[in-house]
Amino acid sequence: MNRDDHGTERQRRFATICEELRPDLMRFAFWLGRDRQLAEDVVQEALLRAWKSFDGLAEESKAKSWLLTIVRREFARSFERKRLEVADLDALVAAEADVLAADEDAALAEMREALFRLDDEYREPLVLQVMMGYSTQEIADQMGLQQGAVLTRLFRARARLRQELGVAAEPLTS
Amino acid sequence: MNCLEFRRRVGAEPAVSGDAIDSHRSQCPACARHQDELRAMDALIGRALAVDVPRLGRTGAAVPPAAPKLPRARWLAMAASIMIGFAVGAALWLGSPRPSLAREVIGHVVHEPGTMMLTAAIAPEALAAVLDPDRTKLRAGIGDVTYAKRCVFDGHVVPHLVVRMPQGPVTVLLLRHRNVSEPVRLSEQEYVGVVLPAPHGSIAIVGHDQKDLDGIAQQVFDAVDWGN
Repeated sequence: MNRDDHGTERQRRFATICEELRPDLMRFAFWLGRDRQLAEDVVQEALLRAWKSFDGLAEESKAKSWLLTIVRREFARSFERKRLEVADLDALVAAEADVLAADEDAALAEMREALFRLDDEYREPLVLQVMMGYSTQEIADQMGLQQGAVLTRLFRARARLRQELGVAAEPLTS
Repeated sequence: MNCLEFRRRVGAEPAVSGDAIDSHRSQCPACARHQDELRAMDALIGRALAVDVPRLGRTGAAVPPAAPKLPRARWLAMAASIMIGFAVGAALWLGSPRPSLAREVIGHVVHEPGTMMLTAAIAPEALAAVLDPDRTKLRAGIGDVTYAKRCVFDGHVVPHLVVRMPQGPVTVLLLRHRNVSEPVRLSEQEYVGVVLPAPHGSIAIVGHDQKDLDGIAQQVFDAVDWGN
């Protein structure tokens, strides 16, 4: 394979990965920052960085995890660069109302808002577990935490969601 | 494993299984139900997180400029593989056994038998707190509402009421997400009930060995104001 062919093949493989994973990356970035413009900027920037270091991806089966790590780092960089402040939650919810909307499904819309209002430290592991299918050990590796800390955060995340949604808490029977 | 350990574990990982978990589930119906509820809630969380990506998009820009457009043939191949994927997925989904609505409703009631024994009417505000998120109301005169909570059922949060009628207490589940084309009869253990088509989804009414179930169900149905 000559150099031009190699370059074309590399671009083709990268484009395929991007097309396949971009929806999940966008959703992940959105739930990290709760801002669609930020999500799009972060993903765009992350994909550019990924393209530059694409040769470093040893196995394409690990592309999702590799890209999520890049998105996460890029999000942290954006956060630092723009010195984003925690905005008023009601204003955030109002600003992203059409993304959170769930036509004719009040429970779904209610859950989206509850997730939106969840603290970052609880929301991120929950997104990684439920949406990305990560194990608690993988979440711990991704977030640089002990597995026990991840379990605690996930437990609290669900407890808060139940509380927020007014779901009946069952008393312990023994 | 005791109840506390079980609930800590499943609270962090509702999908978890294993000998200790399975053993505790078989011995403790309340904890088994708790885990089922958390699994149902996770289904709802999963649907909630899957926000519409086109809504997220601003400019339509997708991949970095360096990445070339795929040739038409490649697109067609990808589209075909996606369609095949959908077809296989749909076939698997349609072919997989789904617990019947009757079993789900009765299962929910069976796990909370104590709620049917309550006799004191709850405060109107407590009832409103359960019904308002669904823009639903219960007209006065039907009987005392002795229990009202929002429960996770089939991956959705639904109002769960117990209404004390002259004929006895009945459990009422307002299932906006679940459509039925005709009444579905329920009868299991000592419970009987019916799920009726409603203006929005359906309504399940379950009693304890009720004689005039149809009459009771009609009264409850007429008492629900489903809003818009």
